[in-house]
Amino acid sequence: MQLCVVRLLLLHVLGTVDQFLIFFTRSARDTGMANNRNCGISFRSEKMSRIQLFLQHDAAYACIAEFGEIGLIEFSDLNLSVNEFQRKYINEVRRCDEMERKLRYVEKEAQKCIPEEIRDMGEDPETPMPSEMFDLELQFERLDDELREANSNKETLSKNKLELMELLQILRETQGFFADAEIALNPAPQGSEEGHTDPGVDALSPKFGFITGVISRERLASFERMLWRACRGNVFLRQAAIDLPLVDPVSGEVVDKCVFVIFFQGEQLRTKVKKICEGYKATMYPCPDSQSERKDMAAGVLTRIEDIQTVLSQTEEHQRRILSGAARNIRVWFAKVRKIKAVYHVLNLCNIQKAIVAEGWCPSNDIDLVHGAARRGTERSGTDIPAIINTMETTKTPPTYHKTNKFTYAFQAIVDAYFGHGLIMFLFALWMILNEKRFNAEKGASEIWLTIYGGRYIILLMGLFSIYTGFLYNDAFSKSVNIFGSSWSLENTFTDMNVTANTILTTPTIQLNPIYTYTPNSPYPLGVDPVWNLSKNKISFMNSYKMKLSVILGVAQMMFGVFLSLANHSYFNNKINILAEFIPQVIFLTSIMGYLCVMIVIKWIKFDASVSAVAPSLLITLIDMFLLKAHPHDLYAGQWYVEKILLVVAVLCIPWMLLLKPLVIRAQHRRSRLVRGISLRSVPIPLRF
Amino acid sequence: MGSGMSGPTFNIDNGYLEGLVRGFKNGILTKNDYLNLVQCETLEDLKVHLQSTDYGTFLANEPGPLAVSVIDDKLRNKLVLEFQHLRNHSVEPLSTFLDYITYSYMIDNIVLLITGTLHQRSISELAPKCHPLGKFEQMEAIGAISTPAELYNTIIVDTPLAAFFLDCIFVQDLDEMNIEIIRNTLYKNYLEDFHAFCSGLGGITADVMCEILAFEADRRAIIITINSFGTELTKDDRAKLFPRCGRLHPEGLAALARAVDYDQVRAVADYYAEYKVLFEGAGNNPGDKTLEDKLFEHEVKLNVNSFLQQFHFGIFYSYVKLKEQEVRNVIWISECVAQRHRTKIDNYIPIY
Repeated sequence: MQLCVVRLLLLHVLGTVDQFLIFFTRSARDTGMANNRNCGISFRSEKMSRIQLFLQHDAAYACIAEFGEIGLIEFSDLNLSVNEFQRKYINEVRRCDEMERKLRYVEKEAQKCIPEEIRDMGEDPETPMPSEMFDLELQFERLDDELREANSNKETLSKNKLELMELLQILRETQGFFADAEIALNPAPQGSEEGHTDPGVDALSPKFGFITGVISRERLASFERMLWRACRGNVFLRQAAIDLPLVDPVSGEVVDKCVFVIFFQGEQLRTKVKKICEGYKATMYPCPDSQSERKDMAAGVLTRIEDIQTVLSQTEEHQRRILSGAARNIRVWFAKVRKIKAVYHVLNLCNIQKAIVAEGWCPSNDIDLVHGAARRGTERSGTDIPAIINTMETTKTPPTYHKTNKFTYAFQAIVDAYFGHGLIMFLFALWMILNEKRFNAEKGASEIWLTIYGGRYIILLMGLFSIYTGFLYNDAFSKSVNIFGSSWSLENTFTDMNVTANTILTTPTIQLNPIYTYTPNSPYPLGVDPVWNLSKNKISFMNSYKMKLSVILGVAQMMFGVFLSLANHSYFNNKINILAEFIPQVIFLTSIMGYLCVMIVIKWIKFDASVSAVAPSLLITLIDMFLLKAHPHDLYAGQWYVEKILLVVAVLCIPWMLLLKPLVIRAQHRRSRLVRGISLRSVPIPLRF
Repeated sequence: MGSGMSGPTFNIDNGYLEGLVRGFKNGILTKNDYLNLVQCETLEDLKVHLQSTDYGTFLANEPGPLAVSVIDDKLRNKLVLEFQHLRNHSVEPLSTFLDYITYSYMIDNIVLLITGTLHQRSISELAPKCHPLGKFEQMEAIGAISTPAELYNTIIVDTPLAAFFLDCIFVQDLDEMNIEIIRNTLYKNYLEDFHAFCSGLGGITADVMCEILAFEADRRAIIITINSFGTELTKDDRAKLFPRCGRLHPEGLAALARAVDYDQVRAVADYYAEYKVLFEGAGNNPGDKTLEDKLFEHEVKLNVNSFLQQFHFGIFYSYVKLKEQEVRNVIWISECVAQRHRTKIDNYIPIY
């Protein structure tokens, strides 16, 4: 019997908000032929085999590299008792770590300077052989050295430049402060001409000392307060914000700073102020007393800044050259180093004797591929002794492995979408799938994008089924499309109800009676008749329709889930779970929700337009069923009795589901203890004969 | 405050953080990890093993050869990042509680800086040695002050430690003895205040935290007493430094105040069952554990126990303390490995 898998995807819309994707699969157990390779998936994991590999020392590296490329073996750790750092190939792993560290540094720098040049063509380089490792190491070492040197040069230069810029700012900004101070000290020049001198001013002015510097803007307030407190208000601080963007040479970030001048009297205060400046990481710069000196100094500083700028641009150019060479290859290098590291990690799991012995799991169906990889590896290493691969008998639990993971691992519920939205979604998903290769290579994308990208197949299907549902509901971006022509017509109404074409133009609303206006033999061929979109009761009609569909599909989905558990229980031959879980669950579900579905179908069939006035509300019917009330209109004969029986059955299912299994397990547990003769509070006593 | 603190309502504000910290706690190194660490031959080996623990790639970007100080920095950095994440996501009263945890580091930093400047070290050299959890803006201006009154008026007055400092303001000048007095007075007031804050919170937090803080208070009292023998600290001054929120208060503290040698301290501890065991297990012979280690062990035990209860803040405190102990352990082992002095490598204090 051939294993066949039928996948049926149903898209179902609850209300108008949620959307579920139902993944429906029916599988028949494979009973005969084992090699049904192309049968697709079932819910069970692939059959796994425990394999043991004997690899030659020379060929082991290449073979494992090939196994890595096919990605079908899960290696088991055969050295569990050995510490990570005492394993044989730990030095090689360390060398790879070191290479990765250098690459990370280069990447970080490249990301900072020339992010656009980091290219990723999705290349997948072959695992380099150990002999290539030295070359790579050497190459990275050189690159790292060059880059670090260039960087430290650049840092020193930027630091110099920053200091000069700050000094220039001080010279410029303080101009105003000193001018104010001079005016304050020599209030009126003409006054002194008149011979009127103020002895107080003369006595004071030479004693004032000052410190100029630059401090980061966010620390200024606290700095000022500290100065005031520590010097008891005996200092005078003037400050001005620097508008120029200053770049921190180490972090490369823009920092906001302020220029300040502190005036004080006496040496003691000078030391104190200096210490506080140091504590607040303010940079102090010497500033000449007289205006002309300040001017000269500013001019000098300006030329020096220009000089430094020239050298700095050359250094930056040099750094850029180094980086752009590296940026082109960095992804490939990363891939190479990581592959080497992975191979050595696997080698560390192996048992190393005369041959290298590895154990692991692989899908039984793919053993041929493993053999092929081993052959390729042996050829690549140039040895002639082939690797030996044994399948072992084992009682260990195999790992779970599903083949078509691309499809199943990313399951995500997304946005509601009918035809129009569905089309967008479909196109988006299609775009992602068509560009799969490129995206797969792209690393470091955002988490949200990865989630969406991972779910591209699901989104594609969701899009497709949304389009389908859009057709059914005749709804594209909330507008309906009249493709086939409505089956509702006013023509009959004109004759029977005495209305004319004029009535339509004059009456704002007309009630259409389906008995007259609907042509029953030619329904709208696909989905809902577009006339509903014009009607006033569109929402109540559509809601009722969608709600009923949702209930039916939802119950089908729940039922499907329950039957999935049956498949699992029978696989593990777990009778108690079937008897105490599965059966009552099915009965419970059927007797309430299943019954509701049946009522929905009955209602659809039984009531046409002529008798719809007496159709009972199903919601009220269900509520009355629980409240044991009689219904005003029966849906069918004997409804009351049927409902009471279903209700009793459903109620009985509850203790059945909740109590039976624990009780049985408890009984089993007690019995087994009785048999083994173990009492509750004692250690097991060995049996003696 | 009590309403949001108990049972089901606790999770509204603090459930996420409690879950987070319990997750962090699962990353604490186990006995097995330590057994592996002490087998390391070099610091590189140590790095490899730590990579397989919760620390992950925390040393991956460090160029070799590794120094112990780098490991220390990185270990501490991880704790600081975790703590800051917790603090940033917390709301009252948990945020105040977490702030209280940082105060002890602030005290340590202040004392470190004052002692350093007393020995003519520059602030820029001392600042990196300060614990990042106890950093505050005014801290580095300590170089500019010369008396305790100045210290209070310019620096401490703006910090949360202001209230703890009032008792020290009468200290005349800054010499080594006075700095110790300032440190212990600050600590004493801090512990008492923290203790009162936790009792105010009520519920399980009070139960757990008061026990831990009571032990901390008693430990300080005992250590202060033992360390004061042979110094010029008078008995009265000594008694003023004892935190009064432990089990020893009041009778035990009164007895400690009279003690003149180690045996008398021991005699005091004999009246308290849990401390008696600690003194009995301690000794100065090679192979014995020191009293200090025994006290640390007891602290670890209390902190581990705090994770046995749910819906309280104690686990935040305990996590920080356990992690500190872990950092001390790893550094101890690293030092032993780096100096090739393996005889005492087993003197770490395992947490599990």
